[in-house]
Order: sequence, then C-alpha cells, then structure tokens
Amino acid sequence: MSLSSIAKLAGVAALVGLSAFARPSGALAQTSGEPIKVGAIVSATGAGAGLGIPERNGLLLAEKDINAKGGIKGRPIKIIVEDDASNPDTALSKANDLIFGQKVVALLGPSLTASTVAVGGVTHANKIPQIAFTGIGPAVERERKCLAHVLPPQRLNAQALLEYAKNIKATKIGVLHDAGYGNVVMAELRPLADKYGVKLVAVEKFEIGATDTTTQAAKVKAAQPDAVFIIATSATPFRNVKQVQITQPVVAAIGSSSYEYVNAMGSAADNITIPEFVVGEDPLPHQKAFVDLYKQTYNATPKNYEAAAWDAAHIIAQAIAKAGPDAGGEKLCEALRGPYSGVLANYDFSADDMTGIPLSSFVYSKLVGGKYTRTPFRVTQ
Amino acid sequence: MTSRLLWIVAALVIWAALPFFVPRNIADLLVFTGIYTIAGLGIGLLLGHCGIVNLAQATFYGLGAYSSAYCTVMLGLPSIAGFVVGAVISMALAYLIGRPILRLTGYFLALATLALGAIASALFFEWDWLTGGTLGIGGIPKLDLFGFVLDRPSRYYFFVWIVAFTCMAVAHNLVGSRTGLMLRSMRDSSTAAASLSVDLQALRTQVFVVCALFGSLAGSLFAHHASFVSTQSFTVDRSISFLLIPVIGGATSIPGIVAGALFVTFLPELLSKLGDIHQILFGLALVGVVVLLPDGLMGAYGRLQRRLAPRRSGHDH
Amino acid sequence: MTLSLVLQAVFAGVTNGIVYALVGMGLSAIFKGSRVINAMQGEFAVIGAMTTVLLLTKSGWPYPAAIAGGALAGALVGAFIEIAFVRYMAGKKASEDSFLLLTIGLALTLSASVLFFIGRDGHLLPPIGGEGVLIVLDAVIQFHALWLIAIGIGATLLLRAFFHRTTLGLSMMAASIDPDGAATTGINVARMRTFTFVLGGLLGALGGILVTPLIAVDYTLGLNLTLKGFAAAVLGGLTNPLGAAVGGVTLGLVESLAIIGISSSYKDVVAFTVLIVIMILMPQGILGRAGRRGG
Repeated sequence: MSLSSIAKLAGVAALVGLSAFARPSGALAQTSGEPIKVGAIVSATGAGAGLGIPERNGLLLAEKDINAKGGIKGRPIKIIVEDDASNPDTALSKANDLIFGQKVVALLGPSLTASTVAVGGVTHANKIPQIAFTGIGPAVERERKCLAHVLPPQRLNAQALLEYAKNIKATKIGVLHDAGYGNVVMAELRPLADKYGVKLVAVEKFEIGATDTTTQAAKVKAAQPDAVFIIATSATPFRNVKQVQITQPVVAAIGSSSYEYVNAMGSAADNITIPEFVVGEDPLPHQKAFVDLYKQTYNATPKNYEAAAWDAAHIIAQAIAKAGPDAGGEKLCEALRGPYSGVLANYDFSADDMTGIPLSSFVYSKLVGGKYTRTPFRVTQ
Repeated sequence: MTSRLLWIVAALVIWAALPFFVPRNIADLLVFTGIYTIAGLGIGLLLGHCGIVNLAQATFYGLGAYSSAYCTVMLGLPSIAGFVVGAVISMALAYLIGRPILRLTGYFLALATLALGAIASALFFEWDWLTGGTLGIGGIPKLDLFGFVLDRPSRYYFFVWIVAFTCMAVAHNLVGSRTGLMLRSMRDSSTAAASLSVDLQALRTQVFVVCALFGSLAGSLFAHHASFVSTQSFTVDRSISFLLIPVIGGATSIPGIVAGALFVTFLPELLSKLGDIHQILFGLALVGVVVLLPDGLMGAYGRLQRRLAPRRSGHDH
Repeated sequence: MTLSLVLQAVFAGVTNGIVYALVGMGLSAIFKGSRVINAMQGEFAVIGAMTTVLLLTKSGWPYPAAIAGGALAGALVGAFIEIAFVRYMAGKKASEDSFLLLTIGLALTLSASVLFFIGRDGHLLPPIGGEGVLIVLDAVIQFHALWLIAIGIGATLLLRAFFHRTTLGLSMMAASIDPDGAATTGINVARMRTFTFVLGGLLGALGGILVTPLIAVDYTLGLNLTLKGFAAAVLGGLTNPLGAAVGGVTLGLVESLAIIGISSSYKDVVAFTVLIVIMILMPQGILGRAGRRGG
C-alpha cells in the first residue's frame, strides 16, 4: 500500500472515529447527508454587542430547532456565525470568507446598518440571498432585491411612535434623540408629524455614548410637551428625563428595548411605552412556543433581536427547502420573496421595503416598575 | 549591491503573485493593508520626523471617502473627480487649521488634533443631508481604468498598492531631503533648529498637509473598495487605529509602516478565530509588542538582522 | 432661554465637569509623576465602579466597604501596571509614544475584558443621599450630584496639599522633575513612580464610583471618560491637578451652555472649538505655569 493510501484510510478512520464523538444535538439522528451551510455575521463584540449576542442566541436555537424537525428536506442546516466586532470593514472581510471560502448558500445578518450595506455590496454582486437584522437603510438597498430585512424600517418605527401619541391624544411632543439611530428616525418622523396632527415642540440631540443629557432633557421639559419621545440606544436619557422631573408619558423607540438598558435605567424604568414585537413576560399566542423554548434553553427571557434571528433562520430554511438546496442564488431569492408569518412579525419580502411588516404587527409594551408588561393597544388597519 | 537588488526583485515578484494564490478574503485584507499603509504613512511622517501626535487622520480619511462617494453617487462624476475634490478639501482644511494649531506643542497639539477629529466626526453625523449620516452613502462604483473594471480584490490590490508605493516614494524623498533633515533637527532640538533660521511653522504645516493628502487618498480608495461609506468608519477610534500603525511598526522607517498596517489589519482577523475573547487578545498583543519590541516591529527586525549577519569588514550596517 | 434653563445648565455642567476633573486629575498626577499619558485613565473609573458593583451585589458587602474596595481595586491595578510594564519599559528608555501605545493597548484589553467577563449590561450604584433632588427655580440637581461636587472639590484640595505639603507628595514631584537629583537625596525614584500610578488609579476609581449612580457604568464608558479627562488635564496645563479640576469644570460648563445657548445638535462642535481656541489663546494652560509647555 502506498503512503498516500494509508494516509487517506487513516483520515477516513479518524473522521469516522471523531463523528462518533460529535455533539449529539439530538438532531443528527433525524437528519443525514451533507449539511447545508448558511453564513451569519453578527456584532458579538464592540458597541453592537447588545444586538449581536441575542441574535446569535436566536440563530443557534433556530439551528437546533430546524435540525430537530428534520432539517431541510432531511439534510441538516449548519449556521456558521462570525463576529464583525461592530466594524463594517470586518463585516466585509467575513462576508468574503463565508461566501468564497466556506461557500455558504445564503447569509444572515449583520446586526448594524453600516455593516449590512457594506456586506450587501458583495451579496448583491454575487447573487447570494441575505436576510439582515436591520431595518432597510439608504436608498441603494432598495435595488438589492435579494436582501431581506427582518426588522422594521425607521419610517415604520416613527409611525409606531406617532400612532401611540395619537392614541393618548398627545398633540405636543418633545423628542430626545441620539446622533446616529436617532437622527435617522427623526428624518422620517418630521414629515409624518403633520399627518398625525402632532407638533414637535422640542427636538434635542445628544451624541452617541453621551454620559449626560440632563440639559437637553431640561430643554424638552421647558417646552411643556404632552408626551416625550426618546430615540436612543442607551439608558442615560431615560434616567435624565426622570431626574429633571418630567412626569409626562415617555414613548421609546425599539432600540431601547432590552433588559440591559432596563437594568441601567434603575428607578427610571417606569411609565415608558415601547412599540416593539416580543414581550416575553406576556407573549402573543403565536410567540409562546418560541419564548418557552428560549427560556428553557438559555434560562432568560427573549426579546426582539432573538426573535428576529430565529425568524431569519427559519425563513431561509424554508426558502432553501422550497427552491432546493442546489438551486443557486437566483432561484433561492425568488423563493424568499414572499409573505411569511414569523414570531416577530408578519413579513412580506416582496414589498418595496424588503420587509413588509405592517403597523399592526407592533406590540406596545409598557415598563412598570422595571418590568415589561403588554398593553392591549394595537394599531388597527 | 546586487544581492540587495535581488531581494527587491524577489519581493516585487512575491507582491505581484500574492493575490492570485491567496483566498479572496485574504486578498481583501491585503487591499485594506494598502489603504491603511497610505493613511499611516502620513501619521508616521508627523510622528517619526516631527514628533507630532496627529489624532485627526480619520477626518481627512472621511473627507476623501465622502468626496468620492458624493461625486460619484450624487453627482455622477467620474471617479477621479472624487479623488481630486477630496484631496483639495483635505489639504485646504489642513492648511487653514494647521496654521493656528501647529503653533502648539506636545500634548496640547495632540489634544487639538483630537478636538478636530471629534468636531469632524460630529459634523459627519449632523450633516446627514451631505453624508447620509449613519445610513451612509451606498452604491459607490468600482474603479474603472479605461474599461478595465477593478471589481475584485485581486485587481484592486494592484491599483491600491501602486498608489501606496508612490506615496512611500514621496515620503522617502521628503525624509531624505534637506526638508527631512530640518524636520528631524526641529524634533530633536527646536532651539537649535530655530538658531539655524529654519522656518519651523512652515515646515510643520507642510508635513501636516502631506499627511492630510495621504489620509484623503486612503479614504477615496476605501470608498471604492467598500462601495459604501458611513459615519461609523470615521470616528476618533479610527484615528487611534491609524496612530497605532507607525508606533507598532516603528515610526521612522517606511517599511515599518507596512509592518504596522499588516499588524492592524491581519491580527484582528487571525484572532477572531479564537472566539469572543479576540478583542482582549488584540489589546494584549499591542501591549506585548510595545513592551517586548520597544523600537516597533522594524526595530526588532533590524536587531535580528544585525545579530544574524556575519561580521564582514568594510560593510556598514 | 430662561433663568431656570441657565441654572439647570450650570448644575449639569458643574456635575459633569467634576467627573471630567476627577479623571483628568488622575491623568495629570500620573503624567506629573512619570511623564506617561495614561490612555486608560477612564478604565480605572470602570474598574473602580464595577468592583464596587460586584462587591455590593454579588458579595453583599455594605456600601461604604464596597466603595473602599472599588477604590482599592483602582489603586492596585495602577500599581500593577507600573510594576509590570512601565518600570520595565522605563528601564529600556522607551519613548513617550511607546508608553502611549502601552496604555492604549491596556485600555482596549480592559474594555474588552469587562464585556467578556461581566457582560454588556449597564450597572447602577445607590446614590449618596438617596434618590432625592434639590429644586431651585425649577432647575433640578440630585443630592448625589451635590455630594459628587463636594467630594470632587475636596479631592482637588487634598491633592494639592498632598503634593505641596507632605513628604511623600514632595518626593514624588522631585522624582519626576529631576530623577537623578532626587535619587541623590535618597528618594526611591522607582517607588515614587509606583505611588504615582497608585494615586492615578485611586482618583480614576473614585471618579467612576461617584459617577455611576448618575449614569450606569458599562464596558464603553472608559474611552469617553478618558477623552474628556484628557481634555480637562491638558486645559489645566497637564501637570497641575488643580488645573485639571478647573479644566474639567470649564469643559463641562462650555458643553451645557452650548446646548442651551446654541443648539444641542452642535454641542460637540462648539465645545471642542472653544477648547481649541482656549489652547491657542492660553498656551500655558488655563492655570498657566511658567515653563510648562505641555510636554
């Protein structure tokens, strides 16, 4: 026997031996064959870790779930998760590696808009379907008909805030927003304000990572609004708003909705309404199974980002099953572009905004004494 | 002399062949290395030869990137317009701001450049009608050289590195010339330099403008590579990364800048294979480099060379 | 712009200013004693605050003991950095840029470590004096903020007295101004440098512990505080801790007055422009020292 044949035999023997020790996910028993590789990029470190870590949890849970239910037409799905460290340049490198090195058939993520647009250049050029954990961003994304989004566009987030204002009959609104995410939502909110009969009596901005927004909060208070909108990804403005003794109801954008922020808000986490999707303490009927499974597995309550990632994994699995695992990018993209009822929301990826979430999917939670509760308010359309 | 030539030719051959033998994402990283080399060169000139810590490079990088983005996407102009507009704006800004702040010395100047960087970053965020804010400007076209489209990292690589080599030649000239001599005399003893009637201010402003030019070129190249620019790429963090490049590599040597750029580009990528702990490891690697290799990577390489080279009479090292 | 708003801006500006001042004073003290710009000064704040949080919530220590523990943690980390890294590099006659790279590397390592080991949550501490507030003309300031300002001013005065009146403080100054001369009078220069870092760590930790009840501490806080503290320290002339205090309060007030006077959208632009103008007009720093040229 030649040396190379011995080597090959040894290699196969090793593989067989190793696979006996393979992680028994309880799934491999029901699935067989070559795993279908799907790539994922999330911000597990850096400033975006608050989004990326829950998304990764949701993805891995979904992977287990899909494989437990027989995988994709019998073949297991393998989600390869990479970290872009909240840096769009890194996201680009990871995308190149996943697409050209690992030869994934689709890409999930990233967590941040900048990374999504950067990666989108590559997936679009190479006809790889992508499902991003962001709302649709700059104009160029509308041309990318294979880049779906599982979170609402900022226009919808703005509308959701205004719907609640209308509901509580608040006509004078004071806004406290950050320079990044906040600016984007404000750009959508300003033109909509008139349509909702709402006057923006104060609009104050603070920089990302601001350690204090007391003065801005005081300016908002001085304008005597009926309600205050806070659009931020930090707990600081919430604390400052309560510290300057603003007693009006506070409505916050979905970016502030996480347990980390609530803990950091301390006693300020009260009388704050948030249009979001998943209230783990009181889930909607179709969300219950996911919430229970997540609680069981991670011993924590999920919220929107975990659910979005879970949905994305299931959506792509369904699309791959529909088009066939070797169908290629274009067919897969066609299979993707349609309606889907997810845990987070009802989507329609054939819509212009590549998301199709209707306002009626929003669930309005309210923070009462540091705990999320679900209000009965829903937008009727 | 001939052996040196052979080394250079060998290095060039390896350089030219590299993109064809490495996986695509490595070629991608090599493009970034080239871009960071250009930006780092400017910082290295200021740091190594003028003793100035410049924390505003992300400003000029951003100006170059946004100029390219705006000119090509919003105005539909050819790509060269973006490069030129970015360069002109950056150099003008560097000159206007440089004249007053370069009078400051030491850490005052460092803080002034930091302040400049923070102002620029804040404006990039605020003037979103120009920059697109956090959403950014996407769809920047790939560079097109007389019909040959540089749409792959392996092609763009050559363009970026040729620009990088050109900048290195300019820097080398500046360093070796009388100007360079005057700069170093100014760094080491400004009273002595002044006594030789060297116009310190004009010199420092000159180098600051060159640094801004390099930053802008790097930014424009970046815009065409990533096809997308947004405010998060141009914050103070980025300026700190640029500062790391010459310090790690050894600020007074030009190959050191390449070494530093390689370090800053490849090490995070390699470390990310180790899981979420990779950020910690990168910080530790920086600490390790500075503690164990006080002259930077090139300093260590130089010492290694001297130790390995056989003693030959008549040769200077 | 009402009087009430101006007063609110002053309250907020002074409170923030004292926080910047505490970070700046530590930075200033370290620079004064060792000529090292400590880019991880803000991380001392995070270390101090996080240690206090952990001692309080996980180990159940009483609050004053937890605060002492947090301050001690800052001091110990400062000492460790000096002994493990700075001393070695100083022995090799490393350049100022190398020390800067060292502290930048340490800052990155520490911030990433907090994320990795403690997580991405923000943590609060109980405010001193309870959750109560003082309201003057409709402007609000928390009792804790008043305590913070008082403690900050106290720390500044103590620090000044320390450097000018105590043997240890004078020895530290001597060791940094003229190491060889100091050594001939029997001052252990290396140990003085360690004490410098201990002092810097202590001040940083104190700043972190005091600010956490107002704004939660998390892994991203370090860099922001470092940048503001650096500005405060440089404005004050870099080797004058009292100057750092003045610099910090100046910066805090400029920021908050810019918000009400101009607009919150341009706060950073205005504040940093004023910073640059101050530096150009007062090249010796706000409290100017003859011969102090910023390094």
